[in-house]
Amino acid sequence: MNKAISRRRFLKSSAGALAGSSAVFLERPPAFAQKRELTFLSFNHFVPASDDELKRQAEVFSKQAGVTVRVDTIAGPQLFAKRAAEATSQSGHDLIVTGAADPFLYEQQLTDVGDLVAYLGDRYGGWYPFAKETCLTASGWRAVPWFWVAFTGSYNEVQFKKAGVQPPKTWDDLLKAGKLLKKQGNPVGIPISHCTDANITFWSVLWCAGGRVLEADGKTPAINSDKAAQVIEWYKELYRDAMEPEVLSWDNASNNRFLLSGKGSWIHNPISPYVAAVEKKMPIADEINHHASPGGPGGIHSATGVNSLAIWKFSKNVSLAKDFIKFLFQKENYNSFIAGGSAFNMPPLKSFAEHPIWASNPKYAPLPKEAEYVHEQGWPAKPNAAVQLIIVNFVLPDIVAKAISGMPTKRALAWGEDQIKLALQGKLKTEGKG
Amino acid sequence: MAVSQRALEATGLPRLGRVARVREWWEQEHVFGYALIVPALALIVGLVAYPFGMAIYFSLSDYWVGSPGSFVGLQNFYDIVGNEMFQQTVYNSFVFSIIAVVCKTVLGVWLAMLLFRPFRFKRLIRGAVLLPWVIPTALSVLAWGWMFDSLYSVVNWTAIHLGLINPPGPNWLGMTSYAMTAVIAVNVWRGLPFFAIIVLAGLVSIPREYYEAAEVDGAGSWGRFRNVTLPLLKPVLAVVILFSTIFTFSDFNIVQVLTRGGPVNTTHLFATLAYQIGLTGGNLGQGAAVSLFLFPMLAAIVFIQLRYIRRE
Repeated sequence: MNKAISRRRFLKSSAGALAGSSAVFLERPPAFAQKRELTFLSFNHFVPASDDELKRQAEVFSKQAGVTVRVDTIAGPQLFAKRAAEATSQSGHDLIVTGAADPFLYEQQLTDVGDLVAYLGDRYGGWYPFAKETCLTASGWRAVPWFWVAFTGSYNEVQFKKAGVQPPKTWDDLLKAGKLLKKQGNPVGIPISHCTDANITFWSVLWCAGGRVLEADGKTPAINSDKAAQVIEWYKELYRDAMEPEVLSWDNASNNRFLLSGKGSWIHNPISPYVAAVEKKMPIADEINHHASPGGPGGIHSATGVNSLAIWKFSKNVSLAKDFIKFLFQKENYNSFIAGGSAFNMPPLKSFAEHPIWASNPKYAPLPKEAEYVHEQGWPAKPNAAVQLIIVNFVLPDIVAKAISGMPTKRALAWGEDQIKLALQGKLKTEGKG
Repeated sequence: MAVSQRALEATGLPRLGRVARVREWWEQEHVFGYALIVPALALIVGLVAYPFGMAIYFSLSDYWVGSPGSFVGLQNFYDIVGNEMFQQTVYNSFVFSIIAVVCKTVLGVWLAMLLFRPFRFKRLIRGAVLLPWVIPTALSVLAWGWMFDSLYSVVNWTAIHLGLINPPGPNWLGMTSYAMTAVIAVNVWRGLPFFAIIVLAGLVSIPREYYEAAEVDGAGSWGRFRNVTLPLLKPVLAVVILFSTIFTFSDFNIVQVLTRGGPVNTTHLFATLAYQIGLTGGNLGQGAAVSLFLFPMLAAIVFIQLRYIRRE
């Protein structure tokens, strides 16, 4: 007997196996027997314990509400593609983390959460001004501000003391102190490269000098100004006399390493280097301290990244998602979230600024005060589609990099203005009018 | 073997049942043959043709991530061509691809010749050579990121300790020319095994008699290489250069992990700029237009090289 498998037998067997396996995978409990599932897409937090706390709270909510909450976390940079894919396919998670211009970019795709924002604001002492700037679109609230990240000055106290300088109150103070610190062998560091931190610091310095990138209408470029030219000159001097060329290649983690290596004396950053040093029991943790983000003739302003929670319109669990957000903001839960994030997660609601963690360590003291000075990138314009392109195309640090590499300041600013005009050519349609 | 219905009728035997008739239809060559290629066709349509069609549709619309756009014709292409950032990217892509492919070709042939020689642990070393090609790019490029790090660069540390350069050494990822050198070096490091192994396969297939005949005619090692090895390797080389050119032009991971297009956009390639504008920036229309610029260029390269291979 011929034991070789004939093509007919092969096809029959394959079809049978396929049908059988499909039946197994398709066999699910009937709908009435299934638990409702709420899905939440977030990013891998810089402080992993914060994600653990979030997942713990999701489990507690699941038990209380008789549902299942699934928290998926992915690498931050992957969120862009994931969000775009979910919006395009009109399927995916119910709840997502948004930030910067996302509530504006996805305005048509996100549920209005104005009721929830009002409820939480009334209950927890009101929202800081930046909440509106970052989540209130022309057609209403499209996201609930969740937590923001404070960009303070992180400095090495011992090196500052040795150089006989005080923590800078203004960006000009930083330049003066930086010159002495560099001579001592401990330069300061602000990234002038393609990374988030480079963008954040540029906005802060420009605002403090009284300059802006866009006018409040979000449509008129304002970068080619005398104030901006002063900022570029300041950067050039700081680069030459207080920093080292390595800032031209930094990524978001480089400045942390720079401070933790003991070489760098000052960086503009969230408190992550200090948190990492404490966790890893590095001796340098004792030498690191923080001070408020510097100011200037235009006042004190500091750019931030606000992380917010948004619900897709296509979600079938809008009401459940809103309940879950309310749950996350319950006093005991939000307080645990702040503690879980080692003071990294800054609250957008005023009453949470009373958290004991800020008083538990004098090095955290400047953090809650920052809330009064922070703005989302783009301010005084809303973080619209053009702002998003200006940020992701790294136009601002590139203006500085061009000027540093020899391009005259005015020409570098004109180049930046051209890039901003190109970003403004976008024709993003929004539900609202402005 | 199935018997046709007409043949059965002619013999006066009873008509076939429905199942038998379906089976008869199914087993005809022109039905069964096409049925066999349906799965492959479905994959190509679903994973290649559909996304490609969508990319063309996006590029002709002002489609943003959260907002379906309307038809804008070639506006996205006009906008991009006029953008200095895109012009820089076109320049970068050619510099990056040409230098990297030339380096990989020369070094690949050289490495293949070395691996072709008999030596101890030949199999082990041949396997090890493939490692850069096998390791996930994102992981290996992260390691390269550390090697080029501004503070902890092992490349600089070694060169300084060998007395080759003065401290602090080059700022690999922060200075325009160094950054391009760095990304090209990593691309060459990663792509070299692909070249070497395919060329090695080509070398193995060259009959020994040709070398013996060349030796009898008095050819030295260079003569044997120039007159025997190279001509017989040409078809293999043409194919491997074709593939490598496509891979190099469309590279993404190396630049995205090492420089994110910096400093000042001098290392941006089509794929990284398309990702930046389309996905992180949200302007899917323009992002798709940037990535589609690759298509005619690669199509031209493929056309020229395939013609050359056919002629050979």
